[in-house]
Amino acid sequence: MVKQKKLSIFNLKTSNLIILTFFLIILYLYFSSNVKKDHISKAYITNQGDNTVSIIDLETLNTLDTLEVGVAPLGITILQKKKLVFIGNVGSDDISVIDAVNDRLIKTIKLGTAPLSLTSNSEETEVYVTDWFKNNVLTISIEQMRVTNSLNVGITPSGIAYNKKHQYQVISNRDANTLEIYTKDHNLVKKIETGNHPFGIYTEGDFVYVANVYDDSVSIINLVDWSTYEFLVGAHPYNVRVHNKVAYVTNTVDDTITIYDLDSKKTIKTLDTGETPENLDLNIKLNLVVVTNWGSDSISIFDIQTLQLLKEIKTGAQSRSFGDFILQ
Amino acid sequence: MKKIIFTLLAILFSTLAFSHGPTPQKVQESVTIAASPEKTWEALKNYSAFEKIMKVRSFKDKLMKAKYELIKTDVPFSDYNAQIRVKKGENDNESVVQWTARFYRTYKLNPPIPEGQDDATAVAAVKEIVGPGLAGFKKSVESQ
Repeated sequence: MVKQKKLSIFNLKTSNLIILTFFLIILYLYFSSNVKKDHISKAYITNQGDNTVSIIDLETLNTLDTLEVGVAPLGITILQKKKLVFIGNVGSDDISVIDAVNDRLIKTIKLGTAPLSLTSNSEETEVYVTDWFKNNVLTISIEQMRVTNSLNVGITPSGIAYNKKHQYQVISNRDANTLEIYTKDHNLVKKIETGNHPFGIYTEGDFVYVANVYDDSVSIINLVDWSTYEFLVGAHPYNVRVHNKVAYVTNTVDDTITIYDLDSKKTIKTLDTGETPENLDLNIKLNLVVVTNWGSDSISIFDIQTLQLLKEIKTGAQSRSFGDFILQ
Repeated sequence: MKKIIFTLLAILFSTLAFSHGPTPQKVQESVTIAASPEKTWEALKNYSAFEKIMKVRSFKDKLMKAKYELIKTDVPFSDYNAQIRVKKGENDNESVVQWTARFYRTYKLNPPIPEGQDDATAVAAVKEIVGPGLAGFKKSVESQ
């Protein structure tokens, strides 16, 4: 009798243990998949030719989804902490906002003018947009999801970037061959000459880097003493990114990217991309350089260490992604 | 339901009508030529008929890719850049020649866009160069 009871208790414990283990496994799977989802690095590619955004998983190098946005999407910026993607549609004069957690379009902000490029402040409370036709920089409040300020700037404002160290907005005026630098309160700090046709911008620390399309060069501007330096790249460069004192530049007419050492002032390597490579972004966590190829409707992904092509992935038509397009 | 379709169509057409902005245009056409890729590539490098319109920027032998820039000035498009690639066809004696052109309309300012300076005019004009250009090149290679 006693023996039997003991046995039944033992049996009960075993079955409980099995249930508990099973439950823990489910719990683990649930949370681990959630954690993974939260930390996945993704590239958002604006396809200007078919009004979509391709979403690429940078860990598996596969396309996750393709979302319909406004007409002729071009510019992009990503709020890394808030996980929001802002897409500028130059054909429908509005901005599509994508929630990067579940990749759904959550808002369309009407502008009534063509948004060329976008960036945000360090706190991610505001997004700044260059308005190509009316020569303005618009401020969008993230809390209100609407335009709250319009600042008149020099002609053809093209690229825009935000310098976190100095809290500056930096704008390239394509047809005036200048850069304009504003404080976060929209006061002009400096207007400085660049090469011919300045377009894509990158800024970090005390420096601004800008691609001069018609000069086949990149200008570097020191934000402290305002000295400048210029180096030659391939034909018709569009954009530039910098990491560890190495510059990565897209040469649209050569179908290449230039990799340039800023210390030794020498080109390390020139890599073949797809056709008409326009923009690029880096993912340091995964050691990737991602390039959008407008001509071949694709992206090229390189290993930043080995400088080898890892994969070319088809996107929608005329992929561009002017701006920061990787959710780190 | 009818109302919904009508609304959707209205939205579609209204966005199309106001569609503008600094958007590069693309014309991409291909032709199949009855010659090996190597032969076609050599023929392209020696072909002079394109030179009335554009001049060679570079030939990349390894990739069989030629880059061109525009020299013709009286055209209803601007900022034209093109490339012509020679690729393998379905067999060793067949090649595919693909011409990709990138350009903008001539009018770069705010709408209204003057007639003859819009995207459609620019695309039509480039198509008139690309289509007959490829056909002429095919004829030239295949008659060699």
